[in-house]
Amino acid sequence: MSETLTLRGLIEKRGASRVVEGHITSCAASRDHQRFAFTTGEGDVIVAHRSDLTDAASWATYAVHDGPALSVTPDTDPHGFLTGGDDGRLCRLDMHGEIEELGKSRRWVEHVLSYVDNKTSYIAAAMGKQVELRDATGRTVLKTFEHPSSVSGITFDAKGKRLAASHYNGASLWYTQSKSDNPRLLEWKGSHIGIAMHPQGEALVTAMQDNDLHGWRLSDGHNIRMSGYPTKVRSMSFSANGKWLATSGADVVVMWPFFGGGPMGKPPAELPGAGGALCTRVAFHPEQEVVAAGFADGTVLMIEPATERVLPVSLGGNGPISALAYSADGCMLGFGTEEGLIGLVDLAAA
Amino acid sequence: MSDAPLPSDTQDALVPVTVLTGFLGAGKTTLLNHILTAEHGRKYAVVINEYGELGVDNDLVVDADEEVFEMNNGCICCTVRGDLIRILGGLMKRRGKFDGIIIETTGLADPAPVAQTFFADEDVRAKTRLDAVVTVVDALNILQTLKESPEAHQQIAFADVMILNKTDLVDDAQLKQVEDTLRSINAIAPIHRAQKGNVKLTDVMDRGGFDLQRVLEHMPDFLENPEHHHEEDLSSVSLTVKTPLDAGKFQMWIGALLQEKGADILRTKGILNFEGQPDRFAFQAVHMMADGNNIGPWKEGEPRDSRLVFIGRNLNRPQLRRGLESCAVA
Repeated sequence: MSETLTLRGLIEKRGASRVVEGHITSCAASRDHQRFAFTTGEGDVIVAHRSDLTDAASWATYAVHDGPALSVTPDTDPHGFLTGGDDGRLCRLDMHGEIEELGKSRRWVEHVLSYVDNKTSYIAAAMGKQVELRDATGRTVLKTFEHPSSVSGITFDAKGKRLAASHYNGASLWYTQSKSDNPRLLEWKGSHIGIAMHPQGEALVTAMQDNDLHGWRLSDGHNIRMSGYPTKVRSMSFSANGKWLATSGADVVVMWPFFGGGPMGKPPAELPGAGGALCTRVAFHPEQEVVAAGFADGTVLMIEPATERVLPVSLGGNGPISALAYSADGCMLGFGTEEGLIGLVDLAAA
Repeated sequence: MSDAPLPSDTQDALVPVTVLTGFLGAGKTTLLNHILTAEHGRKYAVVINEYGELGVDNDLVVDADEEVFEMNNGCICCTVRGDLIRILGGLMKRRGKFDGIIIETTGLADPAPVAQTFFADEDVRAKTRLDAVVTVVDALNILQTLKESPEAHQQIAFADVMILNKTDLVDDAQLKQVEDTLRSINAIAPIHRAQKGNVKLTDVMDRGGFDLQRVLEHMPDFLENPEHHHEEDLSSVSLTVKTPLDAGKFQMWIGALLQEKGADILRTKGILNFEGQPDRFAFQAVHMMADGNNIGPWKEGEPRDSRLVFIGRNLNRPQLRRGLESCAVA
């Protein structure tokens, strides 16, 4: 495609963009923050190096999956990525561009996650009704967690001790090191389509088919209802300090307060939107209280909740934002749209 | 749930979806392969269930899981196929690869959750449209099957088109008996006779689901004098009102009716003449979920009658007629 778009905002001076073939399905930075990967509906993975960040023509394309690539996450090593696809494959794309098939399932691999600290490393992949917990190499399956219906989302807690999966009629909380193979089942009737874990482990929140959120306070299982959305909530992100849960699904950025007794009985804060366009993706900065939000008209903003100050990252894009992520050092912000626009901004550039 | 009908001018941008249903052994997969291999220059994505007995010859085939979910909106009949929401969402990520989608259901499936998925999920609604539910019927075995299986009744009641297959295996008298039986359940879906699935593609694909005009025009007259049915049996009731309808009154009435009786009313379809509107309004509902849109102006000299058909059980014809008539402008 030779489509050229004139984007305005931070991306003009501090970033670059490119239009590739296919719907952008997810994006993520490597653990060393030196690479940033985007996955497409065509099964490709596009990798940008931080050193060539503003030279979009240099970003490399790898054909990894047959059919849509659905999910990308940093590998357990500092440099590479892990991807899952509609073709049922769990793949590693290493720093040299080598592709290794770690697993092959009859089911789509819709969600892939990794967890790394000084002592342990895990890779988790959701395939249909199962979630596989693998070791750091990804070549050994440590455990297979079975669920009553398809898994719609997975998340580790901040310490890698628990893995939560959302599915029909609730969520399952599995202990990664437990000898027992029974999860803590958090039940709530209905179809749960996504999941987020409070960074300090206070609550687990799921998005529901019925345009609202459900939460469980993990200390006592108390149910939390968060409703009022005009559409499904497809994207949720907690602030690093756990004070806020930012969500998509409305024409503003809806933020639920997880402090001062909230979110029970508290109205959410509403941050400015993009002139009425639906918010489609949110991502909190990994350290600071700043949230990035992507909208259905292709707009990407960074917003500081305390001051409601808005910094335009990219204006004039094409199609709904379908992927949005910071690098873990908070210095890179990448996004993609349903129409194949990918953009990357270096927030630390001089 | 009884959503207010939404006008839509984006029909053409939506990917047409054909749902292929029919009892075990009726010949669904044979028909599917006939459709896929015919010379039509079109590419289809096919969603099948993993228990299919025959292979499907197509590039893009997706396995479905038949995960039926209840919606949390308080009505127990609002069930949807969660796996289809995911699969259709996935297919939309490679939109340019096909012209339409065909979903084959298992022989024992109730078509309601599949059809309701196209009403209940906002993302599915935004990008696809249900073109038609095509029910394949085995002429030799259907009368026996109907005695044994409530699902077979549902599949016939839900049909927009019926393919009466294996007609070479029965004589004319039997064929007539089968067709009369199908008609008594579903009076409006056209019946196409076939052997080994050899139907004309235009009878099955791109029915434009709601260009109901054609269908309603050919509605047989005996509907107006229905035979007595046992109350538990599925049957059709067809109504015609010559006076223009008040759109607001109609929505109030149909909303309340489907809310109350939606469990018994499987399908509702109609072409309506709303007072002050130049366009025909196509209305349709699956149980309690309703939808509708303008489908272009009335033809010159065509009688602007509103026609509405219900397929379901325990249908009280006089009550339905009085209800629809009460929506006429004063």
